[in-house]
This record gives sequence, structure tokens and C-alpha cells, in this order.
Amino acid sequence: MSTSILSKFGSLRLTPALVCNQQCRTTTSKHYNPKFKKERAAKFLKIELPDFNEDASKFSREKLRQKMKERGILPPRHWMERPFYISATGGVFEAYVPPEGDGKASLVSTTRAKQAVQLLEKKSRSMMAIRKIKSFDEDFDTKGFCEQAQNIYIKAHESLVNNDKQALRLYVTEKAYAEFRHNSMLKTIRWRFLESLEPPRIVHARCTDVISKENIFGQVTVRFHTRQQLAVYDRFGRLLHGSEILAKDVLEYIVFEKHLSNLYGTWRIHDKIIPDWAAPKEPSKLTRVKPKEVVEAVAPPEKTEETPAIPEK
Amino acid sequence: MNHLFKNLCLRLGKLNIKPINGFHTSATDLAWTKSNLPKTFLAHNKKVYPPQEIGEEPRPAFVCHQKTNFKYSPDKLWYIASFVRGMTVDEALKQLSFVHKKGAVLVKQAIIEARELAVNRHNVEFKSNLWIAESFSGQGMVIKGVRRHARRRMGEVRHKYCHYFVRLEEGKPPIDYYKLNPMTPQQQLDGWLEQMRKRKIINSY
Repeated sequence: MSTSILSKFGSLRLTPALVCNQQCRTTTSKHYNPKFKKERAAKFLKIELPDFNEDASKFSREKLRQKMKERGILPPRHWMERPFYISATGGVFEAYVPPEGDGKASLVSTTRAKQAVQLLEKKSRSMMAIRKIKSFDEDFDTKGFCEQAQNIYIKAHESLVNNDKQALRLYVTEKAYAEFRHNSMLKTIRWRFLESLEPPRIVHARCTDVISKENIFGQVTVRFHTRQQLAVYDRFGRLLHGSEILAKDVLEYIVFEKHLSNLYGTWRIHDKIIPDWAAPKEPSKLTRVKPKEVVEAVAPPEKTEETPAIPEK
Repeated sequence: MNHLFKNLCLRLGKLNIKPINGFHTSATDLAWTKSNLPKTFLAHNKKVYPPQEIGEEPRPAFVCHQKTNFKYSPDKLWYIASFVRGMTVDEALKQLSFVHKKGAVLVKQAIIEARELAVNRHNVEFKSNLWIAESFSGQGMVIKGVRRHARRRMGEVRHKYCHYFVRLEEGKPPIDYYKLNPMTPQQQLDGWLEQMRKRKIINSY
């Protein structure tokens, strides 16, 4: 009797006591006899499996060194080169300061009259710059240039709307290119130039030499007072900013730049001058939550008092 | 057997698990090497839809996300992937925290990452207003290993890696994701009553 029991639970005798205390498993993928467990495991040839999702940025210095040694990789070189572009300047020199309340305040008001006199005094330097531009470019004509500038302005915006990167490079300098394309990825832009409210005019002109005396850049600021339409849609065609049924009056001071010393230089949009008295930009309609009424009741009265005060100065 | 062993050695060399002595080997995942990760699923993120008319129902935003080459069986991951389908993101994260599987951690992480992407990059306003529209697993890299058999024979072992793909969509999830058309208790009762009344009792009339 006793022998039969022993033979029946023969496997029990061989297992350590700890295993017996564990709860009973009924998985079929596990061998019933744990005796040769180690030997069975040894049948598999051990290979080191790579971990593709390990975060190298969290490694310690020693660990990283060890990993690179293992793979025989050299540490990455420092990128010592710094590219820079010499056919366009990186900013606006002696920027134009727009008169306050331009396009809004009456021409008859005293402050406007005073500013007009001051502007006349400043005009002499602009005249000198225009003369210098004419020495390089004989066909330069202020009236003809304004038309050309408006054409460039429209073409640049159209190529941005059409997402035509090659065409945009012809109308925009390298500095303005990044500013033009900023935030326009995967968005649909609908832009229309409706009309020019006032004819565009040159308000400012400057010339500077960079590095050597002969290397001259010319910058001309043109004032545009136009009527435009703008609507920006996100990736799913939902309206983000502006409207397609609303026309807006836009007053802009656009800086055009030309590398005068370059025989093949062209006039391109370089920058936009945003006066400090300009009204703050309208935020985009990112949210669809109705604003709380309590906030509206408190905040706006203070703001409405402030805004007209600035143009009157 | 020889062929298998050769194959294994080649793989090991390619993967740089054990660098061969005196022979310079470089890792496959260097800057100039071509990645062989799945690309088509993420390409949906770059599609731009035409602008909508005024008064049209706003198109729900969506975001696709993937986690690649995770050391887990794609077959085991499939169960977890289909488990979270058609759930809201919050519900899925809650449910997954009670799934004691290695793959559940991966799925949870993928959903959280996708949610962040949706809010930061894809113009989704509320992060809890998302549901899991697509969720599936795919097979990644397979490394073949060797297992000893009796009588000097060898068996092949496949060490599998898996990919996980998830697409989150804005809005509320559909009530019946799998289109099973489940009947309500009232409908079931009505159906049963109808069936009972229709039956014919033999030799009654």
C-alpha cells in the first residue's frame, strides 16, 4: 500500500518543499515535473535580444560609454560649422517709425501736422538713399517701384497660399521666408487682395554697406493701405482664424530689400514694421467654449478707455 | 542545421549583439541608414481636408500614433488591442490599469502619447473628448534563435517584436462599435412572447 502511494506521488518526493506550498497551477504549457526545469531551459541557445525602445538620453555617462564600446561606435562629433547667408541682411537698419494714428486720425489735427513737419526733416536721408539706389539701378523710379512692390506683395502672399516654396523664395528674402512660413504647416489659407484704399507710397529708404564698402544693401519701406480677406483653416477644414465673408482694412509698412551690388539682385519682401501703437492682434478661435459672462462684465470697460487714448497722443 | 546556424551568425553580426573580434562593425540604426519602421499609418496624420462651409458640422479631428519594435508577441498584443477598441480614452486607460499583461503597459503608454499629440499638434480642445477608433497590433522584427532537440537536431525559435497602432478620434464613441445590434431586454421579451404565441400545439384544434 505504502509503496503504491510512493510510486503515485513519486514526483512530490523530488520537489523542494517550497514548490508544494505554492498554489496549484493548471496551465498546460508548464511541465508537470519540475525536476529537469533547468536542463530544459538550457536547451535554448542564449542570445541577447536588443531593446529598441530604450531611452539613450536617460543613460548615465558610464552606461553610454559601455553601450558605444559594445557596438564600436565613436561619440558624435560636435557640429562646428555655422552657416550664414550673405545675400540678404538679418534685420532692418534704422527702421521706420510710423506716425501715430496713421490711417485713422484726421489729417487736419494738430498732432498730425506737427508729425508731418518732422517727417519732412527726416526725409533728406531717405532722398540720399534713393539717390544711391539710382546710382546702381538707373531705372529706379519711385512711382514705378510702388506698383512693382504691390505686385511682389501680392505674389508673395499667393505663393504662400498655394504652398509654392520655390516661388516664395523669389519674392521673399531668406530672413522673411521663415517668418512667412511659420505656423502654416498642414493648414489651408484662403487669402484675397480686394483693393488698394490708398496708393502705396515709399515712406523710408536706407542703404548700408556690409563687410566691405562696395557690398551695399538697399532697404525701402512702402506703406500699403489695402482691403484684404483672410481665413485660415486647420487640417480638418475647421476655421481657425479670420473669415471668408469679412473684408478688413489693413495698414502695413513693408520693408523691401535688394542686394544692390549684386547684378542679379531683386527687390524682395524683407520685414514688416509693426508700430508699437498698433492694436493687439486678434487671437485665433482655438476654443469653442463660450466665455463666462462675469469676466466680460469686469474686463472690457477698462480696455475701451485705454485703446482710444493711444491714437490721440 | 548548418544553414540555420549560419543564418543565426549572420543575424547576430548584423545586429551587433556580439561584435566580431578585430572586425569593425557599426550599428544598423545610424543616421544614414534607412529606417524600416512602418510609415503608412502615420501618413494619415499629414492629410489635409478641404475647408468646410459655414454651418456645416465640424469634422472630428483624429490622430494616428504607433509604438514600434516592442519585445512582446503581436498575437498576445492583439487581445489587448481589440479590448480597448471603441472605448473612450479615459475608460480605456482605467480598464488597462487592471490588465495584468506586459502588453497592457505598452498600449496604455501609446494611448497617453497619442492623447498628448492630439491636444498639442492636432487642434483637439479637450483631451477627454477622444475615443479609440482604431487599435491593432503588427509584427515587427523577428530574431530567429535555436533550440536543442534530441539526436543532435535543432529547432527554430522566433523571438518576435511587435508594433502597436492606435487612432484616436474626437467626439463620443459609437454605442455599438462592432455592429452587433444587441437587443434590449424588452425586445428580447417581446420576441420570446411572440414566438410562444405563434407555436402550434399539435392535436389541439
